This record gives sequence, structure tokens and C-alpha cells, in this order.
Amino acid sequence: MPNPSHEPVSLASLRPGASVEVVRVDGEDVLARRLVDHGFWPGTRVDVVRRAPFGDPTQYRLRGFRLALRKSEAARIFVVPAPAGP
Amino acid sequence: MTAPASKGGPRAIPSPAPALVVAFAGRQNAGKTSLLMHLSGSIQKPVNFPGSSVERTEAHVVHRDVLLRLVDLPGIASLHTVSPDEAIAVEFLRGGGQAGRADVVCVAVDACKLTVELKLLEEIMSLGLRVIIALTKNDVATREGRPVDAAALGRELQVPVIEVNAATGAGKTELLNAIAAAASSIPTAARALAPDAIARSVQPNVDRVVHSRTDRIDAVLLHPIFGLPILGAIVFGIFQLIFSGADPFITAIETGQGAIGDAITSLVPDGAVQSFLVDGLVNGVGSIVVFLPQIIMLVALVSLLEASGYMARASFLLDRALSRVGLSGRSFVPMASSFACAVPGILSARIIDDERDRIATIVTAPLMSCSARLPVYVVLIGAFFAPSAAGIVLFSIYVMGILVAALVAWLLRRTVLRGPHSALMMELPVYQRPSARVIAGQVWIAVREFLVLAGTVIFATALIIWLLSYYPRPAAIHAEFEAQRAAVAAPDSPDGAEQIERLDAAENTAYLEQSWLADAGRAIQPVFALAGFDWRVSVGILAAFPARELIIPTLGILYSAGDVDPGDYDLAELETDHRETGLRARLRESTGPDGEATFTPLVALSLMIFFALCSQCMATLAAIRRETRSWRWPVFTFTYMTVLAWLAAVAVYQIGSALGLGTGGA
Repeated sequence: MPNPSHEPVSLASLRPGASVEVVRVDGEDVLARRLVDHGFWPGTRVDVVRRAPFGDPTQYRLRGFRLALRKSEAARIFVVPAPAGP
Repeated sequence: MTAPASKGGPRAIPSPAPALVVAFAGRQNAGKTSLLMHLSGSIQKPVNFPGSSVERTEAHVVHRDVLLRLVDLPGIASLHTVSPDEAIAVEFLRGGGQAGRADVVCVAVDACKLTVELKLLEEIMSLGLRVIIALTKNDVATREGRPVDAAALGRELQVPVIEVNAATGAGKTELLNAIAAAASSIPTAARALAPDAIARSVQPNVDRVVHSRTDRIDAVLLHPIFGLPILGAIVFGIFQLIFSGADPFITAIETGQGAIGDAITSLVPDGAVQSFLVDGLVNGVGSIVVFLPQIIMLVALVSLLEASGYMARASFLLDRALSRVGLSGRSFVPMASSFACAVPGILSARIIDDERDRIATIVTAPLMSCSARLPVYVVLIGAFFAPSAAGIVLFSIYVMGILVAALVAWLLRRTVLRGPHSALMMELPVYQRPSARVIAGQVWIAVREFLVLAGTVIFATALIIWLLSYYPRPAAIHAEFEAQRAAVAAPDSPDGAEQIERLDAAENTAYLEQSWLADAGRAIQPVFALAGFDWRVSVGILAAFPARELIIPTLGILYSAGDVDPGDYDLAELETDHRETGLRARLRESTGPDGEATFTPLVALSLMIFFALCSQCMATLAAIRRETRSWRWPVFTFTYMTVLAWLAAVAVYQIGSALGLGTGGA
């Protein structure tokens, strides 16, 4: 049975401090491809670090580096809470 | 060492040695370019990829008697490209382009993001090329407690892996050896890699989220409250440095230019040759060289911020505000730089990835009031506005430039530059100490590009304006003033010398008044009359199209003020004007044929707004041509700015006149 707390949500909806795991990137277009090229493939662990002073973009940490995405891009990435880890 | 072939120029190229083509591929921040600078040991020459206008650097190195042609390919994140630059890189790797095929591909791999890099590597290795890997930033990864085992990585991938430091150049000899050895090896076989598994086996804590020095610095520099004030302070500091730091050099150049002009005047007899040398050649060259101090300082500071990693943070802080008007966070640097000078500002727009954002930034950056506009503002404000109002008038002109730029950018993104909202995927790199060599290289490239461009377009325009202002030279004018000079009683007395000086100035005025330039000014004056400008201001505007600051000496001659006293246009003297004579006084006193004052505060305001918005700088247009690789955008910029300037000046003058502000003092 699907657990409601593990229903994938968009990365854009999360607040700084959240730690998540990528489930999928929506779409078949260039943007989706680009996001995968930048490390967002299923299983990737992502930390939401901080928002810029005007509320957008947001800084993420993944695969050992730091990346800024606007809400419009982050909305394509669907995530579930990361299993508790180090 | 650099092979002669890379120097270019009209020399016979020696019989071509069998050069080994080495392509440097990798992501944008992997450190390719600085690696190449270390390998070549010299500043590289930007070259075009054949059959395209994409420009990248190439260097020639002789290593163990083998000539290596090192080609820096545009950064790619995968073989699926989204920009023309990336397409060129991939085409080169596939060997399908006109540029030939690489014998060896050196892939720069950032140790800090190994899994992502391995994914790209898998794609590149599928092309059947001889691949070697330059492992960069392993020092940073080591500091973060996750050093990559280069030897183990080489065994896993079955390709040579050489650890190099793009900042210090350590490991470059080993890399050159590996490149030379790889040339005779068999191409790397395509193979599926499992990025996660390989990375785990060669690097402890692969994707571990490390709370490192960079994160501690970011906690301050990207602070929700203090981040923006810190950015403001940094920008202000850069401004101060450029404004005050470049000043002694600018003064020295202008002094040198004056000295050379004087020397020529004393050596060459009066006449067209002397005027050509002094007013055309020396002043033409001087008006170009005078930009160099600011260009050098600004490019050095911008490269420093970029290489240290801060520039990405500035873009992060401001992205939202700038994307509202159709620009991006990365537009901030070019825009801020343009307050000093639009030329380095436009050159720095290269850091903007999205083409539409970049063009929108380039064509609106010249609306920022640059330092060359300042003398014009100072003369007019000093002459026509009360000292108490001077500061606020000056400030308002600057703010107007920013607002108009925002409006123009917004309109452009909804019309000619309409397109999908650009995506922002910006890495915030690890903070690092910038390499002096890399910064020096970037400064040198910018200086050389500017001089090449200045030596052609700008210089030609300056010469045309000189020609138009010098000819015709009717002998009658000279004879008339010779007669008057001969009539001066006691020419050796102080009184007589002053009379002669005045006659000389009047002669210059008489020549200019009947020059082709003045004819053009009178012909175009009806257009400018709507903005309140008389024919003399119209001539000044025409003379100022190559470089806007040229209006000052032109008005000086037309208003018979002789050589303009620097105090008239010095910012420090904005609020003090004790002079009874000089350009400010002449402008105030000037009257038209009907005895009405030709200059009023309203006309001065209208003229300042015209100068704030008008495209009067050949250097800027040439820089736009260079950076957009087409004539379309410089022509567009010139047209929209000039039309906008005229409309705004006319609107201010007409509305002001209707409100009864057209006459009277300040």
C-alpha cells in the first residue's frame, strides 16, 4: 500500500533543511535531460540548503557539490524523504 | 614554449610539422582553461572554430619534439547539447566538423563531483577516441576527507588518469607525457560504466555532504539579511578602486598625449599635417589608450571574483531581482561594471550562459552612466544648477539610466528577444585562491582584443570626425586673422599677447563654424531644435558620436572659450564655480540671434538626458559587434539608444517649456 508520507513531492515545494532522494525528473525535454546531466537521477540524495534573499533561486547540495536552481526547474524534480543516514 | 604558427601575422609559416591535436573537454567549472594556460606556459590566442563563429582558445606546445595543438573546447555537461558552443564541442569530439578530429582527448574531471563526471566520461568514451583524464581539484576533495585514488580510477576505467592542480600547475609535465604517450595507443573502447559503483570504489565518502570551509563562508556571504549588504559593499569597493585607482593612470596618459601633441606642434609647421597628427592621430590614439587603465582594473577584479567563486554567489543573490526584468543573476557584473565603462562591462557578459539573457544584457549595459559621461554632467550641472541641487540632479541622472535599462530589457525580452524563460542551473563552486597567471591571462586577452578593435573601428571614426571638422580651410579666414594679428599694437607686451591669444581662439572658432561638421550640425539642427539645442550643441553632439566626452572641447571652441579649463568638468568642482569666464560662464551667457539665452537650465537638463541615453561611443559599439559576432546588435543598440535619447530630450524640453520652465535662472 502506498504510504502517504512517501508520495513523491516536487523539490520546489521543500524548505531549507530538507533531505530527500530523487525519484524521477518529469518530462522528456532538454531541461529534464539537463537536470539529469547535473546529477539528479533516481537515487540521488539532495539537501535543500538555503533560499536567496528574494525567495528564489534555492541552493541545493548533491553528489558532493552545490547547485542553484530556480523554482521553475526544481518543480520538475520529484523526491521522497531520504532514508535517515549520515 | 609557443610555436611561431600561433603568433599569426604575415609571415611565411614553416612547413607544417605533424601536429598532434589534443582536445580538452569537460564541464565548465572543471578547470580546463586554467589547465591549458599552465600547459602552454603562455597566454593563448583566441581562434574561431572553422565554419563557425564560436571562438575558443588554442595553444601550441612542443613537448619532446612533438608539436601539440591544444584545443580548449567549450564546456559540456553531456553529448546532448543545448547551446551552439556545446554543439561545436561535441561535433569536434565526434570528428564531424570542419575543424578536424582530435588525436587525443583530455577530459578534465573534477574530483569533487566524481559520479556526475563519470556519467559524462561514459558518453565521451563511447566515441572511440584516445581518452586520458586530468583529475582536477583533488586537493579540495582531500581537504573534504574524500580523496580520489587516481591510480585506482585509472585501473577501473582502463585509461591514464593524471592528477593535476589547475591553480598551481602541478602535474602538468606528467600530463604532457601522458598525452604524448596516448597518441600511439589504441583508441579507448566504448564501455558502459556504473558511475555510482566506480566512484564508491575509488573515493571514500563519495557523495558525502561535507560541511566544509566553503559552507562556512557561504553562511556569511549568502546570509538572508547580510548577504545583500556585503555584496553592495564589495561592488562599492570595486567602484571606488576603479574610479580613484585608474585616475592617476588616466591623467598620466592624458599628460603624455598633451606632451606628444605639443612636441609635434613645435616640430611640424602649422597646417593640415600638424592638425592631422595632433588632433587626428595623437588624440585618436589617446582616446583609445585612455580606456586601458579602467579595462585592466575591471577585468582583473571581475576575473578575481569569478575565479575565487564569489561571482556565482552574487548571481545567486540577485537572480530573482534581475530575472524580473528579463535579465539573469549573471547580468549583474556587466551592468555594474558599465558604470565605470561599458566596454569591459560588455566583455564580461561572456559569463552569461543563456544567449538571450546575454544579448539583453549587452545591449542595455551602455545605458548605465559611464565615467565618460561624468564630465558632461559636471559642466552642465555646474553651470546651470544651484550648488545645493547639484548632487541630487547628478544622482537622478544615474538612477534614470538604471530605470531605462530595466524597461528596455523588459521590452526586449517581450519582443525581439522573446523566448522561453532561461533555466538556471548554476554551480556554486568551492571557494579558492585565484591563480595570478590565469587572471593576468584574462586581462591580457581583454586588452589585446580592445586594442585590435580600437585600432580599426574607433580610430577610423575619430579620423572621419577630424576630417569633417578641419575642412574646408578657406585662405580668406587665415588672411583676415593674420591682418588682425598684425594690427595688434605691441604684440610682445602681456596685453598684446593676450589679444593675439584671443584672436587665435577666434580663428579656430571661425574655421570650425564653416567646417563640414558645422554644416552638418546646422543641417541637423531642426531635428534637435525640438529638444532646445542650438546649432552649436548640434555640432557638439555630432562630434561626440565617436566618444561622448569629445563634446567638451568642441563646445569649448564653438563658444570661444578656447581650451577648456579642467576645473569646469572636474567632479570635485561640481558645487563650486567662482569663474567669471571659462566654458560654464560662456554657456550661461550665450545668446541666439534674437538676444534670447540659448542655454537655460531646462536645455541643460534636456542635453544631459540626451547624453545619458544616447549611444555615443564607438568603442562600445565595436565591443558589441565583437561579442555578438554580428553587426545586427551594434546597429540596433545605436539606433534604439539614439532615438530614445532624442525622444526623451524632446519630451523634457517640450513639457518643461509648456510648464513655463523654459526661461529664467536656476
